[in-house]
Amino acid sequence: MTVTPEFQGTHLFDRLCWAKENLEGHQSDYRVVYEDSVDECAKILVPDPNWMACALQGGILPPVQVYWELAKDEAQPDFKKHTRGYLLHNTKPIEAMTEEQAIEYLIMKDCPQSVWRNYDSGNKPKMVICRKEQLPATREWRNAWKISEELATDKIEAA
Amino acid sequence: MALGEIKADTLTHSTAGSLATNFVVEGSAKSWVRFNGGTSVVNDSFNHSSFVDNGTGNYALHYTNAFGNALYCGQATAKEVADTSAVNNNGTFAMLYSYETGRIQMTTVSPDGNVRDGQTSNLTINGDLA
Repeated sequence: MTVTPEFQGTHLFDRLCWAKENLEGHQSDYRVVYEDSVDECAKILVPDPNWMACALQGGILPPVQVYWELAKDEAQPDFKKHTRGYLLHNTKPIEAMTEEQAIEYLIMKDCPQSVWRNYDSGNKPKMVICRKEQLPATREWRNAWKISEELATDKIEAA
Repeated sequence: MALGEIKADTLTHSTAGSLATNFVVEGSAKSWVRFNGGTSVVNDSFNHSSFVDNGTGNYALHYTNAFGNALYCGQATAKEVADTSAVNNNGTFAMLYSYETGRIQMTTVSPDGNVRDGQTSNLTINGDLA
């Protein structure tokens, strides 16, 4: 079993170099389907295999809250460049995650907060986690894909 | 960190001269990804956390180590069909836009002017990391 070196304080880029050299990519079967605009088709988030390997290994990625802090900085009208990049490198890395936990982390990192903070508050969910086999087999009418109206939020049950 | 470390400002070749190591650091690609926009599969990558299929020929690519600013430089190419032969080589124009420190968007367009999925899509980013 590959042991992650003690990485706190190591530049995140260097950690990713180590991971690329030492970890096998993991192709996840999970997909995250979400809608962030009523005028646009459903979007599909695909986890990166090398990122997923880091998440499953543990001790490499920073807590997701670090990305939120950087996003806050970038949202400032006078933003020119990040001055708190050290948060990525100096914050204690998170422990190994299960694949499901990694998907939740990725949703909170790469999906708009407006989607995941209240994904089940409308008449139908704005976001669904599924397996890739559950998506249409071809990309016919891709730009018209929507989350099914039949997925009413009051009928969602925990898996 | 337990990894070996060499600190040097200059690399010197026996005959070809010297190179400041910041040329290497600054000039190296900081992120790259090859993906299939038609099957929504990431083939391989570096410093990349996810790929979002926004619709036909339209994608968002997210970084793990964010960039220091949104003025980095991206190069993208795409090919509409997945086979590797030169025949049936329907080249696809790739365009980058919406540069943010944590992600970028990419669209791929066929020579006929229609947005199409690139079966072989490539993106490389140079720039300063956060």
